[in-house]
Amino acid sequence: MNSSNDQSLSIPTAKTEILSVQHVSWHADNQLILDDISFAINKGSFTGVLGPNGAGKSSLLRCLYRYVKPNSGSVKFNQQDIWQQYDAYQYAQDIAVVLQETPTHFNLTVYDIVALGLLPHKSLFTREQSSDRQKIDCAIKQVGLVDKTLQNFEHLSGGEKQRVLIARAIVQSPSLLIMDEPTSHLDVRYQIQVIELAKSLGITVIASFHDLNLASAMCDQLIVLDKGKLVEQGTPQNVITSEMLSNVFGVCADVSVHSQHNVPHISYFYGYDTHDKTIQKSEHKSEFSHD
Amino acid sequence: MIRINNSTIIFFTISFGLLSFIASLSLGAADISFNDVISSLLASFSPEKDAQDVLFFERIIWELRMPRAILAFLAGCGLAVSGLILQTVTRNPLADPYLFGISSGASLGVVISIVLLGSTISVVTPVAAFAGSLVAMLMLLMISGRKQSQQVESMLLAGVALSFLFSSFTSLLLYHTDPQAVTAVLFWTMGSFSRAQWGVLWFPALVIISCVMMMLAYRRQLNAMLLGDESATTLGINVNRFRLVMLVLSSLITATLVSLCGGIGFVGLMIPHIVRYFVSQGTVFGIMLTALVGGIFMIWVDVLSRIVLENQELPVGVITSAVGSLFFLSLLYFRKNKA
Repeated sequence: MNSSNDQSLSIPTAKTEILSVQHVSWHADNQLILDDISFAINKGSFTGVLGPNGAGKSSLLRCLYRYVKPNSGSVKFNQQDIWQQYDAYQYAQDIAVVLQETPTHFNLTVYDIVALGLLPHKSLFTREQSSDRQKIDCAIKQVGLVDKTLQNFEHLSGGEKQRVLIARAIVQSPSLLIMDEPTSHLDVRYQIQVIELAKSLGITVIASFHDLNLASAMCDQLIVLDKGKLVEQGTPQNVITSEMLSNVFGVCADVSVHSQHNVPHISYFYGYDTHDKTIQKSEHKSEFSHD
Repeated sequence: MIRINNSTIIFFTISFGLLSFIASLSLGAADISFNDVISSLLASFSPEKDAQDVLFFERIIWELRMPRAILAFLAGCGLAVSGLILQTVTRNPLADPYLFGISSGASLGVVISIVLLGSTISVVTPVAAFAGSLVAMLMLLMISGRKQSQQVESMLLAGVALSFLFSSFTSLLLYHTDPQAVTAVLFWTMGSFSRAQWGVLWFPALVIISCVMMMLAYRRQLNAMLLGDESATTLGINVNRFRLVMLVLSSLITATLVSLCGGIGFVGLMIPHIVRYFVSQGTVFGIMLTALVGGIFMIWVDVLSRIVLENQELPVGVITSAVGSLFFLSLLYFRKNKA
């Protein structure tokens, strides 16, 4: 679990970047949801998107997976504009997305759902080949659900459902995986399991998080949104600070170094007034060096 | 959940389908034995058949019961498949081919034809019904095609609203017309396969077979729609366009069947549910099984409609609705127990 946090974050260049977001703004019903957001993501990195509720995390991810079109700015995947040089079908061959949506009432088995990963790679009348079935079985094995292959998706636990959706993404064989709050509603064990599974795929991953300690431990790069604006960007060491937690999330917290892993670790203070900096600073001094 | 080998299920379903088909040729007001039916069917394959040899019971089989059984089978297939499409693309397990105002549109068409032309000519009625349902379908597409957001909800609501709108016009017209027309319309809305003739069967056969072929081609997309609009989009589907295409398919099936057989409720709702209970629906196998089960069910409904009352035919819609409502209530009951 000792992740690559000790690596310094290299600045994306044309060669290394897989996704670049340039001056993206998006508004819905005359309300500005995303305000001039720019950043780039390196191939093979794990990027966490943080921010309070309503900050625009899901909207930003929607812009990245081509569900909503930004009103201005551009999103480029491998140097190509995702709206001008890709259609939905082509884009789906390169990008897999794991969302919170789950089917209900329709008796789909784990196998059926994982098999949907083939969709962007199959034309209408082609049948599943034995190599396709192998691929599906492999993906199910990779997420450790072999004994549930023919079970009804609805009857699985939250963590298992999430793993099925990741298996579907594996079958889609993408070069970029986007996950919208993959750990919400999961218990601690499944939270760690799901994120480690995503990391183990060895592809570029972008995921939004509510658990800041988990994001700090698992991500190479963090992006912090607040009220539709990108307010912080960088390695967890640079981003996770008491000031950021106070300014963006409105909480008092102490940031120390994790006792096992060389990553920032947050201890929240309860019952403190966020704006009362005196209490915060005099009693709880941050041990973490931000240099 | 019960799981049996797919090919075993298909084998038994097809066998039972053939048996049902022969039974439907045998059962009815005129008693024709199973042996006679089979020998008549076999005789049709022998080359030395003489036109004068055709017996009375053979004429009943070939000219009355066979087209009826085929139409019943097609209607069952079509409604079940149409229901499956709608339930899938709206992700609503209660969606039904008649939910979207298509049958109310057809009823209005029939009423207008009777009131305006003052007749109940059998040729005009299906044409008027088809025209009415097409108008309903186009209106639904115009309304639901406009709004980008919340497509499913607006589509369902628009369908229900259209249904009421057409019903109100129908009632208004019926209120001011003579009782004979009211009876004609009432009988038409209760459904019947008595209009089945060899000459008209090609049309529903063509529509239903081509729609089933399209469904088979798009089976993966249909499954993906169940994941939700966003997930389906990320799998490369243009969700709104796909939903409209599927709505057109299902409406076309419904319009065709409503114009030929009148209103036959609940089949489109219940057959996909029954099949879904046993097998996964989004596979070639699941779709074919839904179509077959729907067809077989309708063959037996037609048999019942002919034999329950002596010398009289019970409307098909009455039987399907009775069986359907019982099924529906038990569905609700058991789902409640499960929760």
